[in-house]
Amino acid sequence: MIEQPVSESATATDEWLSLTLTVNGQTQHVRARTQHTLLDVLRDRVGLIDTREGCGVGMCGACTVLVDNRIVSGCLMLAAQADGRNVVTVEGLAPAQGELHPIQEAFIEHTGFQCSYCTPGFIVAAKALLDETPEADADTARAYLAGNLCRCGSYVKILDAVMDARERVAGVDGTAAGGTNREAQISTGDGDGARTPVAG
Amino acid sequence: MIDARERVTGQVPYVMDVALPGMLHVKLLRSTAAHAKIVHIDASRARALPGVAAVLTGADIVEKTDVFPYFGPVFRDQPALAIGKVRFVGEPVAAVAAADPDIAQDALDLIEVDYEDLPAVFDALEAFEPGSPLVHEEPPRLGQTFADVIIHAQSGTNICNSFRLRKGDVEDGFARSTHVFEDEFSSPPVQHVPLETHVAVASFTGDHLTIWSSSQIPYQVRSQLSEMFHLPASSVRVIVLTLGGGYGAKCYPKIEPITAIMAKVTGKPVRLHLSREEEFITVTKHGVTIRMKTGLDERGKILARKATCWFNTGAYADIGPRLIKNGGYGTGGPHAIDNVWVDSYAIYTNIPPAGAFRGYGISQAAWAYETQMDMIAERLGMDPLELRRINLLQDGDTVMTGEPIRDTHFRELLDEGAARVGWDHGDWQNTRTLVDGGRKARAKGLSCIIKGTVTPSTSTAAAKLNDDGTLQVLTSSVEMGQGLQTAMAFIAADAMALPLDRVSISSPDTEFTPYDQQTSSSRTTQAMGGAIVGAIDEIKLKLRALASEQLEISPDDLEFSNGRIQPKGTPDRGLDYGEVVRRDRAGNIQGSGTFQTKGGLDPETGLGIGSVHWHQAAGAAEVEVDLETGHVKLLGYHAGVYSGRTINPVQAELQTEGNVAFGVGQALYEELLFDNGQLQNGNLGDYMIASIEDMPGNLSVNVLENPESDEIHGIGETSLPPVMPAIGNAVYRATGVRIRDLPITPEKILRGLSEIRDGAPAIDGDLGAAAESSERAHEEVLA
Repeated sequence: MIEQPVSESATATDEWLSLTLTVNGQTQHVRARTQHTLLDVLRDRVGLIDTREGCGVGMCGACTVLVDNRIVSGCLMLAAQADGRNVVTVEGLAPAQGELHPIQEAFIEHTGFQCSYCTPGFIVAAKALLDETPEADADTARAYLAGNLCRCGSYVKILDAVMDARERVAGVDGTAAGGTNREAQISTGDGDGARTPVAG
Repeated sequence: MIDARERVTGQVPYVMDVALPGMLHVKLLRSTAAHAKIVHIDASRARALPGVAAVLTGADIVEKTDVFPYFGPVFRDQPALAIGKVRFVGEPVAAVAAADPDIAQDALDLIEVDYEDLPAVFDALEAFEPGSPLVHEEPPRLGQTFADVIIHAQSGTNICNSFRLRKGDVEDGFARSTHVFEDEFSSPPVQHVPLETHVAVASFTGDHLTIWSSSQIPYQVRSQLSEMFHLPASSVRVIVLTLGGGYGAKCYPKIEPITAIMAKVTGKPVRLHLSREEEFITVTKHGVTIRMKTGLDERGKILARKATCWFNTGAYADIGPRLIKNGGYGTGGPHAIDNVWVDSYAIYTNIPPAGAFRGYGISQAAWAYETQMDMIAERLGMDPLELRRINLLQDGDTVMTGEPIRDTHFRELLDEGAARVGWDHGDWQNTRTLVDGGRKARAKGLSCIIKGTVTPSTSTAAAKLNDDGTLQVLTSSVEMGQGLQTAMAFIAADAMALPLDRVSISSPDTEFTPYDQQTSSSRTTQAMGGAIVGAIDEIKLKLRALASEQLEISPDDLEFSNGRIQPKGTPDRGLDYGEVVRRDRAGNIQGSGTFQTKGGLDPETGLGIGSVHWHQAAGAAEVEVDLETGHVKLLGYHAGVYSGRTINPVQAELQTEGNVAFGVGQALYEELLFDNGQLQNGNLGDYMIASIEDMPGNLSVNVLENPESDEIHGIGETSLPPVMPAIGNAVYRATGVRIRDLPITPEKILRGLSEIRDGAPAIDGDLGAAAESSERAHEEVLA
């Protein structure tokens, strides 16, 4: 049940863009309207289902992805801004087909989810956290992950999973994403930086 | 969870991931008026836009289709699109289907609607008054509904439904009381905020409708769509995938009717997927005002309680007519009270419809009675823990609906909570500790609640044992993150004596999976679990007979063990289940099971069997309040909930921790703010839900089992209602400020502190006389 690309019937005002981006290691040539977001492109053009919209305004973190190793809310970045860039979703974290990233293994071990709609975003955010701060303690992790919301409230076990993942990741990290850089983020600015997912 | 791998890779499919060839996208134009006549709709420009397949209005449904346009689980009062008038800001007025979502969105902008405003009413108490503007002029049409629903509608008013409870003689109880207190409490409307918003995909093949829906109740969706389209139930197929959260929001049809209608009129598959902003106005938790009068004897034993509840059910009834029953009788609380009198109303207003919400009326009731319990303790100079102990239900007491209760654990749960937060019974008056040089105050609060589950109710299941020895369970219960499929797999594997990996649990598909009443009300583990065990019992009976013939041994001498049926104690002589099926050429062995509870309440007295059994929980909170900013930090929380028998301890813990997160949000932040019916904060930028940083640093959970009981008590909601009053009571003990209206915001605390300062000496080391005397001022001591 993969999302099919939508048709390109023209509306009077829209302009179509041709974009090239790398998604989970694969080059994708896509067409997108100017108002389309990176999230739109990932779902409707590339055909990924793992990244999902929760709020559309960058507040819930469900659509968190990495763009050039920076943590980004897919709903806030325009598709055009992703042109030529390297995008990694939760699907791209695994070191190889059929394998799981240590963070994913830790989430399974601790059952760090209920409905799991927020899980891809949490795992990608945890990846960014541990890339930036490999020794992150629980307080650091809480502050960092405050931009990801889990309405089922699995937070206790999510934190357990992330703390466990820190130990697992300390050994090998085999993802294509490499390190992430949170310093380059642009805050959407509600005065609570830790709570605010960002567009890169 | 059994599909954990799919969940951490993002591959578990939700309805939003369903795409059909040629599928169109539906968008809804929504009312900008709270209450207005629709004078004219001009959709001609939208219809002319290239890529637009159809534009439909409520009038079009009436004039151009034979669809019955109204739906609702009790009253058929909600039109798929507004007909004649709109009743709330955000009500769907027109629908567009187009080749892609952008075109559909563009088309909405081209539709012009002329409204003629009507007087509107937003507040339930105002709408309750005779002469207030009528949200529905005509009495709503009552449709086929659930067995437990009691109807007392009052046509010509905004009273959508009412419920009354008359246990004992409440006036006599008050006459014999030494102390009588009357207080008023309110809970605001809030929203469920499932991260997956409502989504549906519909497709007609001839007269056969298939609809994928993010619904908690597929069989309700089926019966309502079958009624609307005049189709036999067998011609409506409802498929549900895993849900991205439900919490009650996805009970009963919401967007399915208009989605199916657009599929019908376009002849194409269509998808409707709501935006977050639309989700906020699709269904809400009932706001309510509760006036509660409680009479006690000189020792603090409650002799009488009288409560009136004005639930704001919004513009359409949804399940409000039933919820006010639970919220109404719920005001009796977990207390043994001989005399209880309740009037509970669902009141129509011009705000978005309210419906089922985790806690189902009990959160609102518990906020009232557990806040009042602490206020009474304060007024009587009693330990709030002791006041509760005196009144808690014990085995053999009658609950508020009149039936005797058994298997009570309130005292155990409450005492454990008190112990966990270090509630000092000997020194309970020493209520708070000041820290940060007196800037912050820390204190503790307690609460204890009772909750029923829908009664009577019915679940059915089917199962087939395949010829490779695997078991397939067919169920219409919905996985929404609560771990339904895992819990059912545990139950089935245990009952069939099979390894877990040889059991599969279906998702709902009404074409194949048998009836289930609803995945809600914390009923499914018990009810569907019971139905599955029944189905497996039938399979085992058949399997035993077949194996008996094949092994030439008496059926009574056979046992089931780890996927094999074998002579007792001799595994090497046994047969794999699959081998038995193959030898018999049975193809597979099938079984079916039904779980049904009996009960219900008398329509006039509200007495009867309110719940097949009673769910029990307690909460204990420790808060730190910044006395300069009013900011509340939850330092610690203990959640205790009675499960009888726990099926999946990890999932039970997760749900209980989730209830704490849900409760923290409702205690401290969540409130839908309306300005003349227009929602002001319907997005996740302005509407705060709990994040990981809001969780208490010191959180403990006890899912209490009874080794002597085999009975499963649902725990999905039970530990939620205690959270808000436990926090509110702790805030009072920290500040002397009694908040009666949720949420407990810094503004309210600062205002309260300021009032205390103005009226009396500022509170200092212990709770000041000011707070105590202001509480006492409400006491009405009878002559």
